[in-house]
Amino acid sequence: MIEIKNLTKVYKLSKKKMQELKTKQTMKRAVDNISLTARPGEIYGLLGPNGAGKTTTLRCVATLLKPTEGTVSVCGFDTVKNPEEVRKSIGFLTNEIKLDPHFSPKYLFGFFGRMHGIDEATIEARRKELFEYFEITEFENKKIEDLSTGMKQKASIAVSLVHDPKVVIFDEPTNGLDIITARNVTDLLQKLRDEGKLVIISTHIMSEAEKLCDRVGLIIDGKKIMEGTLDELLAETKAADLEDAFFTLYKEHHKEEN
Amino acid sequence: MKNIFKKELFRVFSDKKMIFSLFILPAVVMVGVYGLMGVMVKSMVSDVESHVAKVYVQNSPEGLKELIAQSGYLETAEITYLSAESSQEELEGIKSDILSGDVEMLVQFEADFLTKAQNYTNAGDPIPQVTLYYNSTRNYSSAARGNFNSLILAPLQTAMLQNRFGNLDLLTVFNTQEELIINEEKANGEFLAMLLPYLITFMLFASAMGLCVDAIAGEKERGTMASMLLSPVKRSSIVFGKLFALSLLSSLSSIVYASSMILAMPMMMGGLEEEAGLPMNISMSPVQMLELLALMVSLVLIYVALLCLVSVFAKNAKEANAYVMPLYMIVLVLGMMTMFKSGMETSQTMYAIPVYGTALSIQGIVTGEITLFQFGSSVLGNLICTVIAVVAVAKVFNNEKIMLNA
Repeated sequence: MIEIKNLTKVYKLSKKKMQELKTKQTMKRAVDNISLTARPGEIYGLLGPNGAGKTTTLRCVATLLKPTEGTVSVCGFDTVKNPEEVRKSIGFLTNEIKLDPHFSPKYLFGFFGRMHGIDEATIEARRKELFEYFEITEFENKKIEDLSTGMKQKASIAVSLVHDPKVVIFDEPTNGLDIITARNVTDLLQKLRDEGKLVIISTHIMSEAEKLCDRVGLIIDGKKIMEGTLDELLAETKAADLEDAFFTLYKEHHKEEN
Repeated sequence: MKNIFKKELFRVFSDKKMIFSLFILPAVVMVGVYGLMGVMVKSMVSDVESHVAKVYVQNSPEGLKELIAQSGYLETAEITYLSAESSQEELEGIKSDILSGDVEMLVQFEADFLTKAQNYTNAGDPIPQVTLYYNSTRNYSSAARGNFNSLILAPLQTAMLQNRFGNLDLLTVFNTQEELIINEEKANGEFLAMLLPYLITFMLFASAMGLCVDAIAGEKERGTMASMLLSPVKRSSIVFGKLFALSLLSSLSSIVYASSMILAMPMMMGGLEEEAGLPMNISMSPVQMLELLALMVSLVLIYVALLCLVSVFAKNAKEANAYVMPLYMIVLVLGMMTMFKSGMETSQTMYAIPVYGTALSIQGIVTGEITLFQFGSSVLGNLICTVIAVVAVAKVFNNEKIMLNA
């Protein structure tokens, strides 16, 4: 279970960043007072345009960032007070976090297994299961740098799941992947959901959210605009599909900053 | 922590490029450079020795030819005799040849050299003169002149003095005898004491530099640092695991450096020791060796901690290298300062200055003059600085802005 209460994250902007964003403000509210709850056995999608604050929210959940205000708790543990416990129960995946290209998937799987304090027998069993599922058994002794992009992605997903986490966080799961690998990933997320895990993802792809997510939270400019199942969102906005619904809400809530 | 320690070691030892640049390259470079220097010094010396110099002698006094033949000077020089009537033009030609290096030396004896010498009785009588024209910027020319002085002119002078006074002891008013009272150990160490602290301080740094930059900034650049931060391990454990592994690796690398240097040293010194008479042997008691080892370990620790602290602020390896450069310069200067420290008062407290104090202590060990207090304060100074740097690294590891470039 993930409980986010009044999460606010404020970044200080450097002079360079201020120029890039063409703003005179020295602070940016990346996440503005977001509250949400995600439960085991569901895929929760954070949906929003680039820069809306999705990644920042997920990073706060994963203990990589500390909230400026508000609290986040994962499986009953606070991300600030008990970050180690939180990290034990989550698997965090993103395209930015990579595996060291010098090592083989097999070695890294063992390494991160030991980092999580898992005994060798369990690591071995988990490896067999996950490597077979991802079809990387064949390549398990090859260096990561020699693998194709799809293979790399699969290997890094397998490694992130070494400790059988109760909560899986996936930032932009299909970003930059080809159709087949992307399909593999979405299948996996559904499989994990069916196993009773909590899956939380961020995406800006409407069709992906429509197909995959049990519940969606719409985020615009760091604020949560609406939350609910797909049907609930469509009913509320009286739109034909999620994309239309999103645009209606976007026009309503997005204000140009001056 | 153990796990990270092992991973870091495995990473380096499974990478051929890393092994090459850490352990093989320094050995090859050291042996190569010193070997080459040795060979060059030797060949230069033997080349000068075997060279047959072209020497012109004008107005040679009677009996000089025989003296030259007996002295063995002809083995190193070919002599052309000129008469007193040689034209000024010819002499000028020889002089310009000396300048260009085609001729080594011109010796001019004054006319009636022997007669003038024999007729000397009272003060104010003319004293005959020998003029040597040579080029001090050319090795061959200098050697020809040196040999001529010692083999020909000195014996000639002795013979002529003998002629004048009969008993040469008349010329000796008193004898001086010099007895050296020195600390043997110190005399031996003097030359090494100048070099060693400098070599050790900067070599250890050089071997730690690449490693630390790669293990911290390189990992951030590759995006693999975040995956470590996501594991349920305390940040401090990650820091310690990395620091210990890096320290061990840098120590190993510097041992390779040091041993290959010791191996290669005789190759260079073979030529140099004979020529310059520089004593190169150095003896150390087991206690001194342990002290040296302790100093080097503390030095490695402080380097690794400082390098990690600097690299952790960088976004990528390139940036880290730029940050590390000033640190490198400081280390170079600190090491160099011990080379030319005469004239500078070294107070006891200076031994506690990190890095610099260590260089002073290494110098003290080599010359056998170090006190336990100096040794202790050097090690302690390093360790305190290391602890501060490690705490800072651990702090920075908890800083989301720096670690995630957010």
